[in-house]
Amino acid sequence: MSDLFDLPFEEEPAEPEPERPPAPPPVVRRILSVTELTVRVRDLLESQFFEVWIEGELSNCRSSNGHLYFKLKDSQAQLQGFMFRSTLRYLRFKPADGMHVVARGKITVYEPRGEYQLVCEHLEPHGLGALQLAFDQLKKRLQAEGLFDAARKRPLPALPRKIGIVTSLDGAAIRDIIKVLQRRHPNAHLVIRPSRVQGEDAAPDIATGLRAISRVPGVDVVIVGRGGGSIEDLWAFNEERVARAIARMPMPVISAVGHETDTTIADFVADVRAPTPSAAAELVVARKDEFWAHIDRLRDRGHAAVQRRVQMASRRAHLVGGRPAFAGFAGRLAMRARFAGELAHALARLGRAAVAVRERRVQTADRQLATFDVGRRLAGIRVRLVSADGRLTAGAHRRHARADARLRQTIGRLESLSPLAVLGRGYAVCWNADRTRVVRDAATVAPGDGVHVKLARGELECDVRAAKDS
Amino acid sequence: MSDPSIKDFEAAIAELESIVKKLEEGDLSLEQSLELYERGVTLSRYCHSRLEAAEKRIEILNERGELKPAPASLAADPPSRG
Repeated sequence: MSDLFDLPFEEEPAEPEPERPPAPPPVVRRILSVTELTVRVRDLLESQFFEVWIEGELSNCRSSNGHLYFKLKDSQAQLQGFMFRSTLRYLRFKPADGMHVVARGKITVYEPRGEYQLVCEHLEPHGLGALQLAFDQLKKRLQAEGLFDAARKRPLPALPRKIGIVTSLDGAAIRDIIKVLQRRHPNAHLVIRPSRVQGEDAAPDIATGLRAISRVPGVDVVIVGRGGGSIEDLWAFNEERVARAIARMPMPVISAVGHETDTTIADFVADVRAPTPSAAAELVVARKDEFWAHIDRLRDRGHAAVQRRVQMASRRAHLVGGRPAFAGFAGRLAMRARFAGELAHALARLGRAAVAVRERRVQTADRQLATFDVGRRLAGIRVRLVSADGRLTAGAHRRHARADARLRQTIGRLESLSPLAVLGRGYAVCWNADRTRVVRDAATVAPGDGVHVKLARGELECDVRAAKDS
Repeated sequence: MSDPSIKDFEAAIAELESIVKKLEEGDLSLEQSLELYERGVTLSRYCHSRLEAAEKRIEILNERGELKPAPASLAADPPSRG
């Protein structure tokens, strides 16, 4: 080994000492905490999938604290989803397992579990419109509760005292209603509760309006509605709170929403459904028309029945008068004559009343005509009204005259049977001793009893010698 | 027009109906018929007067629950649109 050290130092150009290969740069072991990584993944996902639309099938739907948890899946994969209570309440249908939906939201990571998930901001049924589904679901539910039952439907009041109306003051609906009511029921008393009928606030506004108007004393029928529009425009009338407000009303409600083709939930719950606001107004006043006619019919029938009764009585009087034992009826005949007198008064009064009523109607019609603007429809309507009024008045007079004639006949017949006339034909009336009753049966007197016998002129006081049964 | 024997319009109609029915059945004495008939006349007069008696009025129920007369513009037909 020493040799080595003794070797002469060779004069060789010293080779530059090869440099040591540079140490490979030390691997920077950047160690992340789980949280840090998760945050990075989350940031990445959230920025990449800030707003996505995903289509899939709902499964494992469950709610907790009002939030909704679900899975969205297709045949190959699944995605965890979540929806906050605050956004959930804007949904118009109830998500359920198996439903094919389209969801909108962002992807985020649920850090505690390291799971990525969809925070869903909107959910709608795929295919079927969300509104339609909401409508079907609510309809089914309320129907199951019995809110549409025919048994719940109340009849409209015969004669509304005050007509409540919940609608917008801006639309054509309120003008249509007022126009119809003023034309057909000029003395109607309307109470209008203005309400929004479109947009987010409409449903609560309508519900509040209904409650408010139900507290106004005297309001005994309510019209709620608006003019026609798209299904979105009419949507407030498909909202559950409006349906429930209608169901809770203490008086009958007429729904009047838009056109005939759209039936809203409100229409199903209401006591009566009118296709349009004008039709609702006509339904209310149609009742008045009906009652005019109804009362008149009743009165005419009563009139006829009493006349028949009087004629029957007078025929019986004839029959009785022809029988030998008629005498006991003399008093009753007298009474009937008096009734006939009263009847004459009653009928005459009635006839006058009937004519007066019709005259009032003609006046009302005249007033209505006067308030019409002389527009396009006027001529035809006036012609119809005038001829109708003519018929009414003429009819009343004719009937009055007929009644009078028949009454005079009846009275004449009764007079011919008055007790004096009968006695004048040679018959007599026999009273018991104290004149408390007419003697009709020989068995009711005994020999020795006193009786009074009334003749056409004068009276006999008699003692009974014998009483024989005939 | 406040006949204490008549409760309201609907009751009056109902009573009138039953009176007419009884009259038509015809097994009443003449006296009873006439009494009922008189009552019927009273009832039908009441009904007619009630039909005419309602007050013509249009009111607005505002958010504070107060009733105010409706603006005249609401009731008036807007000037012919055609």
